Amino acid sequence: MIATNIRRLSFYLVLAFASVSGALTWWQVLDAQQLATRPDNPQVIAAHRSLPRGSIFDARGQLLASSQVVGGVSTRTYTDAAFAHVIGYASLRYGATAVERAWDDLLTGRADPNPLRDLLNQILARQPDEHDLTLTIDKRLQDFAQAQLGSNVGAVVAIDPRTGAILAMVSSPTYDPTGFSGNPDLAQAAFDAVAARQANPFLDRSRQGHYVPGSIMKVLTASAALDSGAITPQTTFPDQPKQEAAGFVVNGFTIREHDLGSVKPALWPLSEALQVSSNIFFAHVGLEVGASRFLDYARRFGFCSPLRIGSAQRGLSVDPSYLSQASGDGCGPFVDEVELASAAFGQGRDSVTPLQMALLAATVADGGVLPQPFVVRDLRAHAATPLDGPDATVLETYGGAAGSRAVSTQAAAQVRSAMVDAVSGPIGIHYAGAGAVSRYGVSGVLTAGKTGTAERGPGLAPHSWFIGFAPAQDGSVPTIAIAVIVEGGGTGSGHAAPIGGSVMAEWLRLTAGG
Amino acid sequence: MRAVPRPVELRLLLPLVILVPLGFVVTHIAQTGALDPGPLGLAIGYVGLMLAAHLVLRLTGNQGDQMLLPVVATIGGVGIVMLNRLPQNLLGANVFGLRLGMATTQLLWFGIGVGVMLWIAARFRDDGVLRHYKYTWALAGTLLLIITFLFGREVNGARLWIFLGPIGFQPAEAIKVVLVIFIAGYLAEKRAVLSEGIARIGPIKIPPLPYLLPMLAIFFGVMGIVVISRDLGTALLFFGIFLTMLFVATGRRSYVLVGMVLFVVGSFGAYQAFGHVRVRVDNWISPFADPSGTGYQTVQALYAFGRGGLFGEGLGQGLPTISGHLPIPALPTDFIFAAVAEELGLIGAVALLALVMVLVFRGLRTAVLARDDFSSMLAVGLTVSLGLQTLIIASGNVKLVPLTGITFPFVSYGGSSLLASFVVVGLLLAISHRSAVDAVAEGRGP
Repeated sequence: MIATNIRRLSFYLVLAFASVSGALTWWQVLDAQQLATRPDNPQVIAAHRSLPRGSIFDARGQLLASSQVVGGVSTRTYTDAAFAHVIGYASLRYGATAVERAWDDLLTGRADPNPLRDLLNQILARQPDEHDLTLTIDKRLQDFAQAQLGSNVGAVVAIDPRTGAILAMVSSPTYDPTGFSGNPDLAQAAFDAVAARQANPFLDRSRQGHYVPGSIMKVLTASAALDSGAITPQTTFPDQPKQEAAGFVVNGFTIREHDLGSVKPALWPLSEALQVSSNIFFAHVGLEVGASRFLDYARRFGFCSPLRIGSAQRGLSVDPSYLSQASGDGCGPFVDEVELASAAFGQGRDSVTPLQMALLAATVADGGVLPQPFVVRDLRAHAATPLDGPDATVLETYGGAAGSRAVSTQAAAQVRSAMVDAVSGPIGIHYAGAGAVSRYGVSGVLTAGKTGTAERGPGLAPHSWFIGFAPAQDGSVPTIAIAVIVEGGGTGSGHAAPIGGSVMAEWLRLTAGG
Repeated sequence: MRAVPRPVELRLLLPLVILVPLGFVVTHIAQTGALDPGPLGLAIGYVGLMLAAHLVLRLTGNQGDQMLLPVVATIGGVGIVMLNRLPQNLLGANVFGLRLGMATTQLLWFGIGVGVMLWIAARFRDDGVLRHYKYTWALAGTLLLIITFLFGREVNGARLWIFLGPIGFQPAEAIKVVLVIFIAGYLAEKRAVLSEGIARIGPIKIPPLPYLLPMLAIFFGVMGIVVISRDLGTALLFFGIFLTMLFVATGRRSYVLVGMVLFVVGSFGAYQAFGHVRVRVDNWISPFADPSGTGYQTVQALYAFGRGGLFGEGLGQGLPTISGHLPIPALPTDFIFAAVAEELGLIGAVALLALVMVLVFRGLRTAVLARDDFSSMLAVGLTVSLGLQTLIIASGNVKLVPLTGITFPFVSYGGSSLLASFVVVGLLLAISHRSAVDAVAEGRGP
């Protein structure tokens, strides 16, 4: 009897030992390669200690990051703190982040873009050469955007709507990673000093900042409504004028208008409603679109799932933006019509990243096609003297992936026209007029835009938002789309719109004639 | 006591005469680059100790299982080579002002452990002392546990140590053995009643609760103290031993099933209630969420496994240090298996597990051949205590289950653990000796 039970027990024990051996096999053989290439693996850090690392240049060949081996220790120097979040750091002690992490194997030459040479390198165990990277960002625009943010906490993301190339991506406050990218024994003090500063400089707000969007979300609502046919540019809601004062009761909850100042309520179609940024109008629009259709359109614009800058294989990850309670990596259903209506004018459970909102503007600018963003333009042979600019030999180019259509060309054109009015229309000019590039020395160019004042609850100053693009007059092709957030900056017109307008104007100036 | 030959044991021990010193030489060369054998005192001491143990077993006429000592000596040999190859100031004892290195301290404990094992193998050939005083044993164990909880010294946030002068001891290790003795005695006595079941409601058999209660009371009393002492690994081990012995005694899977359900419910409660449990479980699910903070050791262990690969980096060539420090602070105790897997590879790690399996199967064989139910149950419990302990720490290392601090028998650094493991082997030697003698007496051959 006991003997039988012992035999059964021994079977279970064999099973248990076999599963431990199975798990061992997983880590030691099947997953070993993946583990061996993680940048915080001490093996990788040790191997990197004396490994030369390629340089990183801006779009015009200005040197941003380069490495020298000093006394057997690979030491990296970064020239411009405005790029700290895009490029990240490659620290012998703290591992690598952002572009330094995603392109780590190519920068150090542990991998080769040519699969044949890569295989040969591995078989012969020879040390391949390091490679250099060129970004899509022009240092002049990046520095300008950083200077515009100044001591404010916030982010600016600018995208070329035609290609998806990132033109500027800054997060403030920033930091200089040079101090902890050399001798690992000296790294901790520099790293801790940055970590101890206010407002967490390590956070890349453009990709990882989660914010209530406020009224800039109305651009998404309008796009979804026009494309789905829920409204036309002429649609009005008869109850809306009196609800501007009395409130709009949804499911027993009263949605109230923001302070309209001296503007008298009237029966507004889309253009006027976007100019005064009527919450009541867009609450109606959201309910007309309906919960599932609204979420469906949001997903087409990239919401509700993580985004990538670059490709799925190699790039930077961007946190997902949500319209409703997050459910896994996606958007859960709206709990009721109040949440749907609130989401439609940018409050409720909306939580977005600046990069997502820049993509929203870029999609409208690009005639309804969501571009695939990228920030590394190409991989090149290593330049021996990086101060003289990059090598001419391009080994691999990135970007150029086709975008995906979010809404029709016609719907995009209608939203664009309403956004132009929001900046230059008779009422809008008082709100988003500060975002017009014409105010910053670029004449003859119209700007499309929308401000947002994201309420965060009692006692907290609202976040100041602006999204837009230019040039936006009829017949022109927009060359820059932008999203700006200033944390706790108050009204959108006060802080974010002037930054957005001046950065776009600077870009138009820099690219004029070229 | 007439001396008997133990030829199999001797033959299996002989390879160690070469292998253990060779391990010392290889690690010495790998670490210093010098082409000399380096100090071999500890290796020779270790091999000499095991050969001496063999000699004593012969001279005391022990006819017990000849596989046990060689297997234990081989597993322990891997341990002593690994510990000798780590920085010696990492751990160690300070005996009356004499500072001893880690491997030296461990060898001393090996000596004490082997001595106790031999004494038990010779002295406990009649198990009456164990069987008849099972409640006394249980009471003594529980008292020891309570004393530790109240007056013990706190190390790493858990009060698990008692110090007698310079020598620290973890009573939980002793209680493990005592608990097995108690449960074996109890189950051997009540086995028949427990496996039948006396009442039925419809198709459901009701376990005879009145017969189970005394044992449950003592067992859960011990478990309660262990859990409060935050010794998660030991709690898990005790529970596993208990369920296994219950299963072997009664053959009823339903007990095990109910036990598992209880365990899941209890674990969930512990997860909700205790921060330290939550940290362990969260690290288990996603160690890479905080790779430089709470997930650090787990992540570093996984890297060690990855570096090892199929064949390992070679003895003495693993464990790259970060700024001169070992990447895994608890390497000599909780993560010694990861170090073995890194330097000896998948092949070495699986071989080590296989050795433990051989030990377990020899123990189970002893249980099957034992002359009475008590000896059988005792052998099962003792064997399973070693087997489960290995499984718990090894699967914690490979992230199959959440990591709990517990030692790898005969390999991890730690005196109490080593001593308790040798007590187990001593008892197994005594039990198998008895059945061998009986078999001869009954004419069933040796």
